[in-house]
Amino acid sequence: MIKIIPLEIMTDKYNQYFIITKEVKEAIAASGIREGMVTVETKHTTTGITVNESLECLQSDVDVFLKKLIPEDAPYSHCHMLQDYGSTGGNPTGHLKALLIGNHCHFPIVDGKMIAGSAQDIWFCEFDGPSQRTINIIIEGTE
Amino acid sequence: MVIDIHVHPAFFEPINEDEKKEELRHDELNLHKNGTAPLKHFFNKMNCAGIDYAVLLPEDYHTSMNGEVLVSNEEIRRLVDLAPDRFIGFAGVDPHDEKAAEKLEYAFSELDLKGLKLHPSRQDFHPADRKMDALYDICEKYDKPILFHAGLSFEPHSTTKNCRPLDFEELAERRKDLRICLAHFGWPWCRETAMLMLKYPNVYTDTGALYFDSAKEFYTQMLTRDVPMTWIDRSLRHQVMFGTNDPRFEMIRMSKAIEELGFRESTLELIKGKNAVEFMHYDPEVR
Repeated sequence: MIKIIPLEIMTDKYNQYFIITKEVKEAIAASGIREGMVTVETKHTTTGITVNESLECLQSDVDVFLKKLIPEDAPYSHCHMLQDYGSTGGNPTGHLKALLIGNHCHFPIVDGKMIAGSAQDIWFCEFDGPSQRTINIIIEGTE
Repeated sequence: MVIDIHVHPAFFEPINEDEKKEELRHDELNLHKNGTAPLKHFFNKMNCAGIDYAVLLPEDYHTSMNGEVLVSNEEIRRLVDLAPDRFIGFAGVDPHDEKAAEKLEYAFSELDLKGLKLHPSRQDFHPADRKMDALYDICEKYDKPILFHAGLSFEPHSTTKNCRPLDFEELAERRKDLRICLAHFGWPWCRETAMLMLKYPNVYTDTGALYFDSAKEFYTQMLTRDVPMTWIDRSLRHQVMFGTNDPRFEMIRMSKAIEELGFRESTLELIKGKNAVEFMHYDPEVR
């Protein structure tokens, strides 16, 4: 069986990081699935999902590192009127940061619990906020 | 105090309870995949852009749309009432409506809207047409400005006809007490807009243009090359207003970009807020 539980987040900064481990564990408990896998996947292309330690200093280092690697003022191609949108796309840095971070993670579920290392937390990363975001928590397995 | 003089609230959540209406707005404004915006989200954007107040513009083309008003004056009033500390409302009327003058009087006297928004191409009128005098008279009577769409329009059923800056010269010459804004800097005819502002102090413009490149690159072209920055900084500094044309363009990046161009600090203060207060003859912080 598969259950998809959406997690909604309204971000309020241009770049922002959230720890969503607790919400994922709660979704697993609510699903009733005892043995299987959980996939956490963002529905967007300018956000990321990754696994790392939940430390303020690390969030800062990741933020500074990505901004150095992908500066706002570089001459990107993704800065032009998008006919399908009727608006000007100007968020190449969001797309590129999302590309590096990735859009999902997986963990096994055993006896109804998410199996993760003691330092492992699930990060949701906003790279083009503020925005309204949806993350799918996809739980697959047996009850 | 920072004011965004040019915001289209068509997709704000409180006025999008009807799915068919929302779909109509997407089609008729040629804006897609943007969804609806809870006010909290919009305020988050304003905060990130450092914008204190947003001027909300209605859109009334109902005589060419089977009676359907895209964004009504009443909806603008409703939004302002929901956030009077963040929103300033303008009125809109369809000039081909027999009751346009009556509706405009009501919008100013009863709904307390602070200006008029018109689109000469989409609404198919020439700014100097004498048939428009009744509306202009009401604006003068109530001391309210008009924000005209000028230059390129990305809306459907809309060309640049009647929207070239030169189309507004006769009106500017004839009614020197009427404050008019040629929005979007009249792009691509920015120098015509500059020429009109130089001669007519009652002509203003806004910066709601981002048709190519990034915000920084486009503003560098439009506000430092097409119109040399010194022209604005020395001569037109009291007539240029910061506007984003949200949601078509990018509020946060445009706000950041204009600050990085190199204007004097005092010029930036004028562009980002004080000129809008002068244009509207309304200061939202003095109530």
